[in-house]
Amino acid sequence: MRLGALLLAPLAFLACSTVAIPVAWAEKPECRARRELLDLGNPLEVARAAVAEHKELRIVAMGSSSTQGYGATNPTFSYPAQLKMKLDAALPGIAVHVVNKGVGGQDAEEMTARMRSDVTPSHAQLVIWQVGTNSAIRRYPLDKFADRLRAGIDIGKSIGAEFVLMNLQYVPAIVALPDEEEYARVMADVAREKKTGLFKRFEIMRSWYDDGMPYANFVTNDGLHLNDFGQKCIGQLLSLAILNAVRPPQLTSEPKPK
Amino acid sequence: MHGSVPSSVLAPGRDIRLDLFRGLALWFIFIDHVPENVLSWATVRNYGFSDATEIFVYISGYTAVIAYARMMVREGWFRAAARIYRRVWQLYVAHILLFVAFTAQIAWVSTARGMPALIEEMQLLGLGQNPFRAILEAAMLKFRPVNLDVLPLYIMLLAGFPFILPLVVRWPKSVIVGSVLLYAVSCRFDWNLPGYPEPKVWFFNPFAWQVIFYVGAAMAVLAPELVWFDRWRWPISIAAGLYLVFAGFIALSWHYNWLERQVPELLARYLYPIDKTNVDVLRIVHFFAIAWFVRLLVPRDAAFLKSPLLLPIRRCGEHSLQVFCVGTFLALSAQVVDSVFEDSVVAQIIVTIVGLGIMCGVAYGAHWFRKDARPEAFT
Repeated sequence: MRLGALLLAPLAFLACSTVAIPVAWAEKPECRARRELLDLGNPLEVARAAVAEHKELRIVAMGSSSTQGYGATNPTFSYPAQLKMKLDAALPGIAVHVVNKGVGGQDAEEMTARMRSDVTPSHAQLVIWQVGTNSAIRRYPLDKFADRLRAGIDIGKSIGAEFVLMNLQYVPAIVALPDEEEYARVMADVAREKKTGLFKRFEIMRSWYDDGMPYANFVTNDGLHLNDFGQKCIGQLLSLAILNAVRPPQLTSEPKPK
Repeated sequence: MHGSVPSSVLAPGRDIRLDLFRGLALWFIFIDHVPENVLSWATVRNYGFSDATEIFVYISGYTAVIAYARMMVREGWFRAAARIYRRVWQLYVAHILLFVAFTAQIAWVSTARGMPALIEEMQLLGLGQNPFRAILEAAMLKFRPVNLDVLPLYIMLLAGFPFILPLVVRWPKSVIVGSVLLYAVSCRFDWNLPGYPEPKVWFFNPFAWQVIFYVGAAMAVLAPELVWFDRWRWPISIAAGLYLVFAGFIALSWHYNWLERQVPELLARYLYPIDKTNVDVLRIVHFFAIAWFVRLLVPRDAAFLKSPLLLPIRRCGEHSLQVFCVGTFLALSAQVVDSVFEDSVVAQIIVTIVGLGIMCGVAYGAHWFRKDARPEAFT
């Protein structure tokens, strides 16, 4: 009887695997986003001028665990590393610098507090500010969240950088929150008010989900962080969005989101 | 000293279940470390919250007591402690060797095989800008690129073990209480060890993961007393079974959106995130639910344990350090080979099987070398 149960277990496992493997086969994820989702909403004039006139682009990736690359099996899959590789490839002759200032677990308040000290040394023309997720998890009040965003952007602008805000990730732990969309909305409002770019990570990832891509393809088992594919794909799409905004007009070719 | 150590710990003979399941954990770790490997559907990871790491750490705690308690009784605490530190040293040497082999493999692949993307990857790993600093931080166990996180955890856990060993053989229940308290406090106050580059921390937080290790250690002492639970065999089995079904449902919902839409939002709010760095409670409960069924279904003297079919897995478990190192190294090779074949499923399956074959070859080789040496020496 016991032996029977024991033989059953591997058999059940095998059965599961034979059902699951074709599924996994079919569900090979494709990195894509609709054109309008990659529109940053505002031009990046400082960054464009840096590329055109100084042949350089200095970027600081400010953020929390997504920026740090938590959840990827390889730190080079993190979106700042991907950004560096993609921009290098797409902008020959331009010196691209990407400094990773991701600190896991931080929210808008903690990042605003270190904005000056983290952005000043690298003379960044562009700050990618990945924010909102931890504020939403901690239920940080929405009006204070907006205030911190404005304060952080003002500090960055005062030292010569312009901004692309990257909003929340669309993952089970965030979707389950009662008001995650409010945080995304506040970020869109602040981006409009402060004339910064907005990279709509939340909407892009939601479109993956709505198109039938399962969470397992882009989220780690903790239900919160992006996995290898998620990190790489967000890095590629962000690169496309930034390239559209900074490439000199005569070089602008049709972006090809797969 | 002898009188205070329970006879269960000192019982002669080797509990081959430990070899079998540790070997299985090593296979799973290898399979899961190859990114996007279809064969990871054959591992525990896709059917619930916990994965092979819990199995490996738990069995490490369990076997540590069995190996070193005997030594402590026979030769005294000081000698046992010295042996544990010799083992810690071996683990450290293995980890450093693995680090060198690992980075050398990246360097070789990127230069000799003409994959410049990998050179850039290595630059970005932290070796490019400041290799001297990176090597120093690697020696301090702070810099652990790509999948080199498990051995440092094991090193930290075993380094504290000499001080817990005399306590756990006498007061195993108190050790469980203390361990759970440390777990709770470290999660509450975000205790972790620093990593490199700043401000990274350890992927496997030793203050949290010690709970699996020390509960495993205490269970080795408490094994005979566990019959006490058998009076509630059915209620516990039903509860554990329901939990496994629930965890399986949630885990499968990550693969099927229509299933995912059935998960109530309020439930999801409590479930997520299911933290791996600090071993979430959901993971711990899931592991012990599995362990409960393993205890019921696989008695120590089960005949099938000696089946020749399972011998390769047992051999891997017996020589876990060598097999673990080779597996970690091969996972990177497998990743490179898979990428050459554009992650085709056939390539993944072949590469995985070849990798497991090499791991078994190493285990048999190590066995052949050590055949005449101490048959009982393990951990």
